Amino acid sequence: MTLLWVLIGTCLLIAVAIFRRRQQIRYSRYVRSLESTYRPILATLLSGRHTPQGINALRELPLADLELLFDPLFSAGGIGQKHAPVLQALCTELGLLRLWQHRLIRDEEPPARRGSRHGMGLHPPASPLLRLLLRAKSIRNLGILRHQPSWPLLVRALDDPQSDIRSVALRSLATIRAPGSFRVLVGRLHAVVLGESASPSPRALKAALASFDLTCSAELLPSLRHAHRRIRIFATDILRVMVCRDAALDSDFLLGSEVCIPAIADTLLTTLCRDPSAEVRGRAAEVIAFLADRRATSVLYGLLFDPQWYVRLRAARALANPRHSSPYLLLGIRDCLRDPHWRVREAAMHTLISLGPRGRQQLYGHFLTSRDPATRKQTVEVLERSGLMASLVKDYGEGAGGVEALMVEQFASAAAPLGLSAILRMSNPQVRQKFLDRFLPVARFKMQLQEETPLEANAGMDVQQDLEFPTVLAA
Amino acid sequence: MSSLRLFLEDSITFFNLLILSYFFLGNGIYTILMLLSLRATWIHTRRLAYQGLDALRGSPLTPPVTILIPAWNEQDVIVNSVRSALQADYPELRVIVVDDGSTDLTVDRLVESFHLLEMDGAYRPSIPTAPIRAFYINPEIPNLLAVSKVRGGKPDALNAGINLCRSPYFCNLDADCLLERDALLRLMDPVVDSAVQTVVSGGIVRILNGCETSNGRVTKVGLPSRVLERFQVVEYLRSFLFGRTGWHLLGGTLIVSGAFAVFHRATVMEAGGYCNDTVTEDMDLIVQLHHWAADNNRKIRMSFTSDPVCWTECPSDLTMLARQRRRWQLGLCQTLWKHSEILFGRKYGIVGWLSFPFHSYVEGLGAAAEFLGYLLVPVGILLGLVPPYFLLVFALLGFIYGTFLSVGAVLLEELTYRRYPRFGDLLTLLVFAVLENAGYRQMILYYRFQGVLKFLAGSRRWEKVAHAGANA
Repeated sequence: MTLLWVLIGTCLLIAVAIFRRRQQIRYSRYVRSLESTYRPILATLLSGRHTPQGINALRELPLADLELLFDPLFSAGGIGQKHAPVLQALCTELGLLRLWQHRLIRDEEPPARRGSRHGMGLHPPASPLLRLLLRAKSIRNLGILRHQPSWPLLVRALDDPQSDIRSVALRSLATIRAPGSFRVLVGRLHAVVLGESASPSPRALKAALASFDLTCSAELLPSLRHAHRRIRIFATDILRVMVCRDAALDSDFLLGSEVCIPAIADTLLTTLCRDPSAEVRGRAAEVIAFLADRRATSVLYGLLFDPQWYVRLRAARALANPRHSSPYLLLGIRDCLRDPHWRVREAAMHTLISLGPRGRQQLYGHFLTSRDPATRKQTVEVLERSGLMASLVKDYGEGAGGVEALMVEQFASAAAPLGLSAILRMSNPQVRQKFLDRFLPVARFKMQLQEETPLEANAGMDVQQDLEFPTVLAA
Repeated sequence: MSSLRLFLEDSITFFNLLILSYFFLGNGIYTILMLLSLRATWIHTRRLAYQGLDALRGSPLTPPVTILIPAWNEQDVIVNSVRSALQADYPELRVIVVDDGSTDLTVDRLVESFHLLEMDGAYRPSIPTAPIRAFYINPEIPNLLAVSKVRGGKPDALNAGINLCRSPYFCNLDADCLLERDALLRLMDPVVDSAVQTVVSGGIVRILNGCETSNGRVTKVGLPSRVLERFQVVEYLRSFLFGRTGWHLLGGTLIVSGAFAVFHRATVMEAGGYCNDTVTEDMDLIVQLHHWAADNNRKIRMSFTSDPVCWTECPSDLTMLARQRRRWQLGLCQTLWKHSEILFGRKYGIVGWLSFPFHSYVEGLGAAAEFLGYLLVPVGILLGLVPPYFLLVFALLGFIYGTFLSVGAVLLEELTYRRYPRFGDLLTLLVFAVLENAGYRQMILYYRFQGVLKFLAGSRRWEKVAHAGANA
């Protein structure tokens, strides 16, 4: 008997699979025909040419078919930001916007919504699951359209019993970026961190808040001063992302009072930089680096020598901005090259490289005078990976002198045998020849000198002396 | 004489009961997994429409990920795999290839294709590994690093990759695999979205044989032409679409494919990294993480999602298939034995009370029990100890229930992802879902039985599966 039931079940599964595939083929054909008829009209309307005939043709379609037709525009990468206003106007005119808002408010389909002509796919759905899917898509669409008036509805949707609805509503709020919703979301973050609410996830809330404009940051002040450590971490991180995003778009970006209220700057410079949590201090360092405030330099200098390596790492990274190439900070970053943690040393090296010739001079100087083999090896690694060694070799061949020439001669003598030989192997013959023409006499002289000098005397030579040979030669 | 007969009768009756319980328990749980997965996967595919990958892609808060590709003698496939990894659509991505002492041209092919230069580098191991011999980089591809190390096995190569990795998450990818462009983004979605620390996120592995590829990408999906490969397509669908999904839904994930999964680096390091004492380091790590979390009272989450796809080449001949399955079975037995204290352990929850016992009894011992059943039942009939209809019931049960589950997997694929686009593909899959149970499954059972024997013999040999070059 069991066998018989299993056999019947198997046959049923086969039948369902075949039936579904045939249904899918019919559905695809219908969508294709719909698209081939109406896609050109839609393209014309989206290009900004508002034709009454086009609008009327689309109006004749049932809402379900319109949704089918518009759906690809709302899928990933379907529409650019510049088309959003035209699309929004079109959706308003065709009644789609009202339909989506209706779904957002009520978990039911509006009576006016007619089913598809095709008779499948997007009927007014009876199943709660299908209704949920349609509601979520509607919320997504409102977000993509950046429909500002819908934000209070979306905020209400954050309390929906369905977690999917809550997460899509949050993403849509992050896309719309209505200033009024920022405060609500900050409140929500507090509730989630304090355990008063379980969803959305703190990470999702943080990502949503970070997408808002920096002018909203004033609302973060209570969070930055909050007694709860995690709230301060989240708030500082949100501020950091906002600032770094704006800074990436504008190389002269400064965090002045026009975008960041003085109270926030004060909090950063007086409280957060001394916060008991290293995570707060580290994140604060990255924001402080952009503050247009005199106190910032000394605070950043202090953070470079924080007891926690994580803070030092963040501070060293934060200074990778040409406006921090003041001698005072440069010395601080150079001191980080002696940091006990290799990641801080590495960050300091990258920062010095990014600061241009002055920063690089500091790095080369440190390399040439350092006796620590680990630091020297690490510097070579960073120079090779950043591609700087190749340009040093090329400049050396062109006759460049100074510290750069010393660096190359150091690489050749022992410090970077693999990297240098690989670069010479891969470089064009002219560069290679120029390098050898200059380097070989130096090498010969050094070898000759080594042969003539007794071993005992060699053992007593310090690194600094050893490095001075080529300078003498160059002179 | 009569006492011997009595003993034989009792033994065979006991064995019959064992076989029947194995069939009903195994197939019963598989049916539950299938039903759970049907609903969950269907909903998941619909959710993809509003998943918000764009937000994840554009957010500066999306955690960086490093793809680790361990490679040993993979000269034919490595370049395409690395290319596919580098093309992955992810905001902050790094790729580390760890050559585990290859004796072929694996390193040379990488150097040649990506214009890598041998550079000086520092290795700071947190997990002990065999030494690194060379570092290769190209400053123009700053997110690619290749290292060559002294041979230490795949777990050792992965540990070396973890040591070199700087990002909070790493994704291991087998050297014969091709990633779909947005696979990593999809894999990280449940990690970012979760309120609980998600330490593992696994995706689906599909069969590359039969697909057209170009420049590290699958350009056209199709079914393989060889019968053996087609059987494996159905098998993979069953294993991933409802096996892994079902266990994930029950909270009892014990296996995440080592070919393609994301891990939280700090947690893996705290748990000790990959171990070298089993031949299935992927399963071993998952079980070890369960162990570690329970011992340290840590709340962790393991996720499985069926839409991030990684394409892999399956064995195309019996020798390689036998090697692969023997190794899988040996590794399963080794891992279950190694972590046997999880079995019915209170603190392990659903893993200790359902998943681990199921894998031990049905997946581990079951291979031996079912295979011996095929041998002993006819012997019992010949000796007159078992009624002949029992053989018929045994065979029919195996065939029909197996067909039911395989067809269920094909239906699940049809209702959700529908990756094989032609109508003929669906019919072929259905035919192979039926045929799979009349010979192929028994053959696999034989290889698995060999794996159990190897475990009992204490073997730890890693049987290398050579690739025919579908990804070449």
